[in-house]
Amino acid sequence: MISFKNVNKWYGDLHVLNNINLEVDAGEVVVVCGPSGSGKSTLIRCINRLEPIQEGELVVDNMAVHDKKTNMTKVRAEIGFVFQSFNLYPHMTALQNTTIAPIKVRKMKKADAEELGRETLTRVGLKDRINSYPAQLSGGQQQRVAIARGLCMNPKIMLFDEPTSALDPEMIGEVLDTIKMLAKGGMTMVVVTHEMGFAREVANRVVFMDDGYIVEVAPPNDFFRNAQTERGKAFLSSILSH
Amino acid sequence: MWSFYFHELMRSLPFFMKGVWMTVAVAGLSLIAGTIIGFICGIMRAGRNKILRAVIGVWVDIVRGTPFLVQIFIIFFILPGIGIELDAFSAAVIALSNLSASFICEIVAGGILSVPKGQREAATASGLSQYHQLRFIVLPQAMRTVLPPLVGQYVLSIKDSSVVSAIGVVDITRVGWFTVQRIPEGIMVFGLVGLLYFAICYPLINLSGYLERRMTVMTIRL
Ligand SMILES: Nc1ncnc2c1ncn2[C@@H]1O[C@H](COP(=O)(O)OP(=O)(O)O)[C@@H](O)[C@H]1O
Ligand SMILES: [Mg+2]
Repeated sequence: MISFKNVNKWYGDLHVLNNINLEVDAGEVVVVCGPSGSGKSTLIRCINRLEPIQEGELVVDNMAVHDKKTNMTKVRAEIGFVFQSFNLYPHMTALQNTTIAPIKVRKMKKADAEELGRETLTRVGLKDRINSYPAQLSGGQQQRVAIARGLCMNPKIMLFDEPTSALDPEMIGEVLDTIKMLAKGGMTMVVVTHEMGFAREVANRVVFMDDGYIVEVAPPNDFFRNAQTERGKAFLSSILSH
Repeated sequence: MWSFYFHELMRSLPFFMKGVWMTVAVAGLSLIAGTIIGFICGIMRAGRNKILRAVIGVWVDIVRGTPFLVQIFIIFFILPGIGIELDAFSAAVIALSNLSASFICEIVAGGILSVPKGQREAATASGLSQYHQLRFIVLPQAMRTVLPPLVGQYVLSIKDSSVVSAIGVVDITRVGWFTVQRIPEGIMVFGLVGLLYFAICYPLINLSGYLERRMTVMTIRL
């Protein structure tokens, strides 16, 4: 479903992605972890070309994201993206946040989009906040609206960039539960997170990044119990000590 | 003597009203044109095309860095030299439109750039086109920042329109000049001139203040 082949990316002189090779199959859940600045966000932002890559091949749902000629609107419509900082549209209600893309991109009728929006918001536990503005919602609720916004496009893939890092601890659970629900429903997902419990429960594989390289790829239990590299071990002990 | 002149002044009120009408016409047309051109240029100024951005930047600097009187003279006296014949009214509207557009351009560009980058990223990620992003995500949010100074700019442009009297447009100021030659009570005559400008601007000043408060409240609520 997602295929990186020898992908390289630079910001000026900074080599942020170093010869990345990674295959994510349909229905698979991949968790990406690694120290701050290791290139995790850049990696998943390349998947829908929020960032362009300079070298290599990146194919998503059989569409060549590395190819400048590819119609990215079509690719992006199939990929939901959830940001660390939610990025909800503040001038729109929760419902409007979820319906704008289905109406404008999928050309759905407004009434149909609103029905879908209501259903999806209900699914993420926000039935009674449908007409609230983002500023009237808690962080956890905002992030669930953001997830619903992605889901309303009926995407094949969901990408999450540290979806719980900006949340107060008591709200992390509700957001992780929502993401777990999707994982169990068979959604293809790449999740950047340091939540090890979450990774153990739903991830098929953990990708450990450091300094622009993919250093280890392993099933979560293998990686967390028995990291193969020094850098992986050092990283695990650093997050465990928090 | 004073009451005689006052009486005379009252008798020239219809003449002043013609001036008011002229000021409203010049400023009104210029503000409509200036707003349209200013928004288009402001959107491009905050856009991705580097060449457009630079060209618009130079234009804005030139317009802002030269006296308005000089700009009017160039348009009215120098353009005919290269074959563009303009009456005073057209020259006035073009000059004031150009001036207003340059300021509005900067206000709009500033408003667009004040919208957090994540808003565009979220819209891009969901597949919205550049046009839809601008129309539904960026501009509505930018308008919060744009509206109060935009209305403030309208007030400034109305006041700046008095400069067009220099090329013979018979606006409020020009009527004042004519009248003061008959009624040599400068304070009285130009007091009236000032009052008439104030009467036009005052509702806008209030609107600007109202928008400012309202936008602040909305920013806090949203
Ligand atoms: N737009 C950018 N321009 C320049 N450097 C950037 C940009 N975005 C990220 N970087 C740099 O690229 C590296 C990887 O960043 P990022 O992918 O955000 O890491 P992570 O998400 O793992 O913390 C960091 O050194 C960061 O400073
Ligand atoms: Mg990051």
